[in-house]
Amino acid sequence: MSLDTDNRTTSHSIAAPATRDTEARARLKTVLRLTGFRILGAAGVLWAVATLAFFAMRLVPGDPVDALLGGPGNNATEEVRQATRELNGLDRPLLVQYGSYLGKLVTGDLGDSYQLREPVAQVLGEQLGNTLVLAVLALATAWVLALALALWSARGGKVATLVGNLLEVVSAAVPHFWLGSLLILVFSVSLQWLPATSGAPGIEGLILPVLTLAIPLAGFLGQVMRESMLTAMNSPFAISSRARGESEASLSLRHALRHAALPGIGLSGWAMGSLISGAVVVETVFARPGIGRTLLQSVLVRDVPVVLGVVVLVAAIYIIVTLLSDLAERWADPRLRAA
Amino acid sequence: MSTPTHLTKTITDPEEAMTHSIQTPVLDRSPERRGPAEPRPRTRASLVSQAKELFTGLGPGIIVPLVLMLGLVAAAAIPAALAPSGPLDMNPAEAFTAPGTAHWFGTDESGRDVFSRVIHGARSSLLIGVLATVIGLGTAVVLGALAGLGTRAVDFGVSRFLEVLFAFPGLLLALLVITILGPGVVTTTIAVGLSAAPGYARMIRSQVLSVRRSGYVEASIVQGKSRAFIVRHHILPNVAAPLFVLATLGVGQAIVWASSLSFLGLGATPPDPEWGSMLSLGRLYIGNAWWLTFFPGLFIVLSAATTTLLGHGIQRKLKDK
Amino acid sequence: MKNRQPAYQAEPANAPRSAGSPLATTAGTLRKRLPLTVAAVGALLVLTACGGAVHADSAQGPSRAPVSGGTLVYATGDTEPACLDPIVSGNVPQALVSTQYLEPLFFQDENGEVGPWLAKSWKWSKDRLALDITVRQDVHFTDGQQLNAETIIRNVAYIKDPKTLSSTGILAVEKVASVEKISEFTARLHLSEPDNALLEHFAQVWVPIQSQKALARGAEANCLSPVGTGPFKVESWSKQQEVVLTRNDDYHTPAPTAGHSGPAYMEKIIWRFLPDHAARFAALQSGEVDVIDVLQPQNAVAAKADPALDTLIGSRPGHVVNLTLNTTEDPFNDVRVREAFVRSVDVDAALKSIFMSTVPRSNSVLSSITKFNRQNPDAYSTDVDKANRLLDEAGWTARDSEGYRTKDGQRLSTTAIQTEAVLVPVSVFEQFQHSAKAVGFELVINQEEPASFNAKRYAWDYGISPLYYTKNSPSVLNIVYDSAHIPSVIKGGYHANNNGLTGPAADAIDQALRLAATTGSEKERGELYAKAQQLIDKQYLSLPIFDQQTRLGFRSDVEGVRLLSPLGMPTFYDTWLDRS
Repeated sequence: MSLDTDNRTTSHSIAAPATRDTEARARLKTVLRLTGFRILGAAGVLWAVATLAFFAMRLVPGDPVDALLGGPGNNATEEVRQATRELNGLDRPLLVQYGSYLGKLVTGDLGDSYQLREPVAQVLGEQLGNTLVLAVLALATAWVLALALALWSARGGKVATLVGNLLEVVSAAVPHFWLGSLLILVFSVSLQWLPATSGAPGIEGLILPVLTLAIPLAGFLGQVMRESMLTAMNSPFAISSRARGESEASLSLRHALRHAALPGIGLSGWAMGSLISGAVVVETVFARPGIGRTLLQSVLVRDVPVVLGVVVLVAAIYIIVTLLSDLAERWADPRLRAA
Repeated sequence: MSTPTHLTKTITDPEEAMTHSIQTPVLDRSPERRGPAEPRPRTRASLVSQAKELFTGLGPGIIVPLVLMLGLVAAAAIPAALAPSGPLDMNPAEAFTAPGTAHWFGTDESGRDVFSRVIHGARSSLLIGVLATVIGLGTAVVLGALAGLGTRAVDFGVSRFLEVLFAFPGLLLALLVITILGPGVVTTTIAVGLSAAPGYARMIRSQVLSVRRSGYVEASIVQGKSRAFIVRHHILPNVAAPLFVLATLGVGQAIVWASSLSFLGLGATPPDPEWGSMLSLGRLYIGNAWWLTFFPGLFIVLSAATTTLLGHGIQRKLKDK
Repeated sequence: MKNRQPAYQAEPANAPRSAGSPLATTAGTLRKRLPLTVAAVGALLVLTACGGAVHADSAQGPSRAPVSGGTLVYATGDTEPACLDPIVSGNVPQALVSTQYLEPLFFQDENGEVGPWLAKSWKWSKDRLALDITVRQDVHFTDGQQLNAETIIRNVAYIKDPKTLSSTGILAVEKVASVEKISEFTARLHLSEPDNALLEHFAQVWVPIQSQKALARGAEANCLSPVGTGPFKVESWSKQQEVVLTRNDDYHTPAPTAGHSGPAYMEKIIWRFLPDHAARFAALQSGEVDVIDVLQPQNAVAAKADPALDTLIGSRPGHVVNLTLNTTEDPFNDVRVREAFVRSVDVDAALKSIFMSTVPRSNSVLSSITKFNRQNPDAYSTDVDKANRLLDEAGWTARDSEGYRTKDGQRLSTTAIQTEAVLVPVSVFEQFQHSAKAVGFELVINQEEPASFNAKRYAWDYGISPLYYTKNSPSVLNIVYDSAHIPSVIKGGYHANNNGLTGPAADAIDQALRLAATTGSEKERGELYAKAQQLIDKQYLSLPIFDQQTRLGFRSDVEGVRLLSPLGMPTFYDTWLDRS
C-alpha cells in the first residue's frame, strides 16, 4: 500500500545525495513545476466554477428574459419577450450559449448585465472596491478584537477566561442581520451618532457595517486563537522563559501571539470567503452597494451574466487569498518554512 | 497544494492520541469504583450521589450547556407540553401585545403567542442545525476520507473538487439549491449542509493526512499491520474526536446560517414557526415590537452558544484526560 | 470607491438661464397664492378622504414663505429601474422617478377628468378615428429642443419601435395607427378603432413627451438620461446607488394643481435606492434622508407618533391589490367554491392587525381613485355560514382526519403563491390560511422569490396569486379581465388575464368590457364599466384587498410634499426645506 500520497512531501525526497549545483537546479525545477501546477490548477478551478454556475443558473426556475425587461414586475407581451430573447441570443441551444460564453470568458469578456445594461466587468469593478474595503476592514477589526480579547482573557485568571469564552461564543452565534439591526437601532436611531446607511462619504458610514461583519468573526477567530494561545502559554518553552524572568506581557506578545495567530492566519482564507457571504447580508441591511448585494440581486432577477461574473471574481479572490494565507502561514510557522 | 487548515488543534501528539478512545472519562475516575469491591445496595441516595459525582466530574463547562441543551431538546420533543397554546393559534384582535402575564413573550402581528411559537420552533431550528451538520459532515467524511486514504489520483481529484466548491461562494451555493428546489425547511437544511461540507472535508482530509504521515502509523506499516487495522486503530480514533467537536460547533453555525437565509427571504415556509424566519419577520417591527426579534434571536444565540460550549467542554475533557 | 464613475453624467448646462433671481419672483407670487393653495389642498383632502385616498397626519400649512435652494434626499424602497425612460418597460419604479423630469400631454385630475398640460387643446373627429392634438408653443425641453407636432410623431414612433422594448407605452398607443403633421404645433393621430381611453393614456408618465433630439440618440443613451420638460432633469446616475436630479431653471409648465409657478424650490434631488425597509426607515429617523417611500405600516404608526416625521399616503389608480383566483383548475373552477373562499377569510381583521389600520379596505376591483369604480362591500364581506353552505352545495361535504373537506376522496385544497414584491405580506396569507381552515378549506402557502413567482404565474401553476395593475383608467379592466388575454403564444409566457375564466360568464364580461372601451358616450362608458364590475364581482374572480398606495414618510421640515394625479406619484416641484 502506498501511503505517501501527498505531493507536498516531494521536496523532502529530492535533495539527498546530489551536489549543490544539481540540488539547486532540482529545487528550481520543483518550484517551477509547483508554480505551473498552481496556475493550471487556478485556471481549472475558474473553469469549473464558471461551468457549474452556468448550468446551475439554467436549472433555476424563472426566465432570464425578465431581467432584460426590467425585472419580474414587467408586463411585457409575449412578442416583446420573444424579440428580446432573439436580440440577446437566449433562443440559441444551450451548448451554443455555453460555448460562446466560455469563448468570451477566455478573452476576459464577462458580457453585459441584463438588468443594469452595463458591461459586467464595469459593474463588478464599481462594486468590488466597496466590498473589499468592507471585508478587509472587517477582517482586520475581527483580528484586533479577537486578539485583544484572547490576550486579556488568557492572562486575566479564571473569571476573565470565562467571560472571554462566553463573549466569544455568544458573538460567534449572533446572526449578522440581527446584530446589524440592533446596532442601527442603538447608534443611528436612538443615539444618532452614526448613519444607518452608507450613503454618506467618509468613514462614518463604514463603522456599523464593519462592526456587524467583524463581531461574529472575531468570536470565531477568538475561540480558535485562545485555545492555541493557552497551549502556548503552558508550553515548556513558556515555562522556562518565565523562569528566566521574562515578563508575562512580553511572553504573550512575543511567543503566544505568534502561536495564537497561526490557526487564525490559516482561517483567514476561509474567513475571507465567509465575509463575502456575510457581505450579502450586511450590504442588504445597511443598503451598501457591493458585490454581495449585486450577487443576491442578480440571482433573484436571473441576471445570469452578473451571477457568472461574481462567481468567477470571487473564485479568483479566493485563489489569491489562499495563496497569501499559505505564504503568511509559512512565514509565521518556522516548521513550514524549513520544509 | 495548500497547507492543511487546523481548525481544532486537539490531537497533536499521536502517542497520546493512540491511547484514548472517546468513552466517558468520568466513571473511571470515580473513587467508589476504585474502593473496596463491597457490593452496595442501589439506594436512591447512592444514585443521587452517583449523579452528583458524575456532574462534578463533568465540571460546569459541560453541565451548564448540557442542562440548557436538555431544555431545548425537551422543547423540540414535546412542545405541546411546554407551550401554553398551539403555534398557529391566532387572534388578530390581540396583535402586538407586549410581553406580560397573559403572553410571556408577547404576541405577533396575527396575535399568536410568541412564547408558544418559540417553543414549537425549537424542533425546526434544531432539526435544521443538526441535520445540516450531519449532511455537511457526512458528505465531508466521505470526501475527506477519500482524499486522505485513497490513491494519489483520487486525492488529487477530490481535492480539486473541494477547491472548486470552496471557491464557489457558499451563499450562492445555498441560494442556488433553494431556488432550484424551492424554499422550505428541508431545502434550507440541505443548502446549509452542502455549503458547509467543503470546509469540513478539508479539515478532515488534513487530519487524516497528518495522522497517516505520523511515526506510529509508519511503525504499524513496518510491522505489517493491515490497512483496515490502521484505519480502525489509528486513523478513526484520531479523526473522530475532533469531528465530534466540529459537529457541536457546526450545529450552532448552521442555525445562524439558516436564519440568514430566512432573512434573505429563502427560509422556512410559513406558517410553521422557525426561529430564523420569526427573527427576520420581526426585524421589520424592531422599532415597534422589540419582543418579536428579541426572543427568537435569544434562542438562536442560546442554542448556538450552547452547542459550542458543549463542544468546547468535551474538547477540553478529552485533552485533560 | 470614492471615484465611482456615474453611469451617466450630464454635460455642463448650456441652456439659457432665466434672468433675475428666481427666488424673489417665486416667493412673491407664492405669498399671493398661498391661501388659495392651502384651501385647495384642504378641499382635496376632504374630497379624497371620503374615498379613503389620502391620509396626511399633519395638514397644517408651512409656517413661513417657501425657501429656494438646497438638496432633497429621497430614498426609494422600490427596485432600481433598468432604464430611466419609462417608455422602455414601463413600471412603477420608473414612474416614481420620471415624474420629476418628464411630463405627459394631458393632465388627469382626481375625478378622472382630462385637461390640458403640454397639449393646449385637442379635438376628436366625428367617427372618433382621428384626434388632433395642438401643443403649447412656448415649451422647450431641457436640451433646448422646442416642443412641436414633430415631437409627437417621433415619440409615438419611438414607442412603437420594437427595439425600444416598450410594454406599458406600446399598449397605450396600440390603437394609434399613424401620426400626421397638420401644422407646426398640431399633429393628427389616426386610430385603427375608437379608443375612449386614449387621452387617459396620454396623461400617464409612462407615455411622456420627450425631446425628439434626445430620442434620436437611441434607447441605450436615452435610458441613461431621458430629456423632458419637467421641473428637474437627470444630472447623473450611479447604478445601484443613486440618481442625481438638478433643477430645470427654465421650467414653466407646472401641472394645474401645482402650488406655485416658475422653477422648483429644490436645487437638487438625490434619488437613492434603499430597498431594505428597516434601513430606509432608520435612515429617515436619523435624518440621513428627507423622504422615503414604501413606508411600512408599522413605520407609518411610528412616524405618526414622532413629531420629527410626517406621512403622506395616497391611492394609486388601477386594479387594486387583490388575490386572483385561478379558475382553470380545481377547486376554483366552481364559482361557489370561489365565493366560499372569499367569504371565509377576514380581510378587515388582517388590515387591522398586520397593517395596523393604516390601509383602508377596498371592496372593488378598481381602485377608489379610478373613474367608475364601484365599491361592493356586500359581495366581499366575511360570512362564514355562507361559506360553509356554499361548500356543502358544491359537494365538498365529507371531512378527512385533519378536518378538511373532501369530495370523491380529494381534499379541498389550493395553493397560494406569494412574494414580498407583490405587497401582500405572508402574514396575511397565514391569517387567511387560518380562517379558511375553519371552513375546512386547506390553503397551502408557497413563498417564492420574484422570478419563480412569475414563472409559476406564467405557467398557471397557482390557485391564488396576489396581483395588481397600475393604470389611470377603468380600461385596466379590459387588460386584466378580458378573456382574450388568457392564451399566451408560448407555454409559460406572460398573460395579463390571470383568472382564466372562459365560457358564457366570461363572454358576458368580455362583451361589456369591449363595448365600454369603444363607446363615444362617457355616460354609457360609465354604465358599461359598472355592469362589467358587477359581472366580475358575481364571478368572484378575485378578492380585492386594498388600493395600491404611494406611502411617503418625510421629515417634518420638508414642506410641500404632494402626490401628483393621476398615478399618485410623489412630486417635489412645490417642495422646500423649512430649515435655517
